[in-house]
Amino acid sequence: MTATSNDREQLRPGLWATVNDRYPGSMITKSDLVPLAGLEKPLAQSRLTFVSTAGVQPKGTLPFDVAHPVGDYSFRRVSSTAAPADLEIHQLKYPTAGANRDLNVIFPIDRLRELVEEGVIGGLTPDFFSFIGYNMDPERLERTLAEEIAEAVVADGAEAALLAPA
Amino acid sequence: MSLQYLTDAVASDDREVLIRYVRLHLGDGDEARGRQEIDKAWIEALKPLLALPPADREFIHDTLATKDPATLAHLFFDLHFYLVKRSGEWIHDGNL
Repeated sequence: MTATSNDREQLRPGLWATVNDRYPGSMITKSDLVPLAGLEKPLAQSRLTFVSTAGVQPKGTLPFDVAHPVGDYSFRRVSSTAAPADLEIHQLKYPTAGANRDLNVIFPIDRLRELVEEGVIGGLTPDFFSFIGYNMDPERLERTLAEEIAEAVVADGAEAALLAPA
Repeated sequence: MSLQYLTDAVASDDREVLIRYVRLHLGDGDEARGRQEIDKAWIEALKPLLALPPADREFIHDTLATKDPATLAHLFFDLHFYLVKRSGEWIHDGNL
């Protein structure tokens, strides 16, 4: 019989119950509707970028600040032509064992290149964008990190963005 | 927001709120585990000093004398994770 997710022990029972105790009011709320941006042309003709909270970064660059109690509000550019072997993960808050065996399970850089070769995606931006999800000040996250990444994505000529939380 | 919550706790000297936040951070969302992690870090800090090995006290003195409080506080958090990693019992999922 094949194991399913229901068969497995929950890794962190009660984790979500602590969120509101731990970070009261920390959930991002929006009073204004932010409409989804539609594709202006088919995906097969669009240049895609990838934005990830997985904490992936090129080896040899300053590790993300995983020790800081309020989080790290910086991001790293990751070349879309990088080999997974030239990348590493600095992150404490999600299981990385699988990703350390195959980075594509959390940061599908090879898969995206394959989709370009197959014509599913028109192309990739020169860089992808990576940061860590442990950021306890959502206002700062939005005001700085999100806006900086958005500006960089636009400057790189992205026509579509794949966002992947870790 | 959470940062305001902590800032308010500092202003009102609500130490329970502040230490709970730290324990939850160091315990990856588990307050009791965070308390154990703090104890573990102090034990790991004590162990290498029992034999009274030579230490670079000049470095320590200069660092404490010249670095700003935020940098030193940041270093304190980094040292915590360094020490618990040295213990060989790593509860966190990822890497420093």
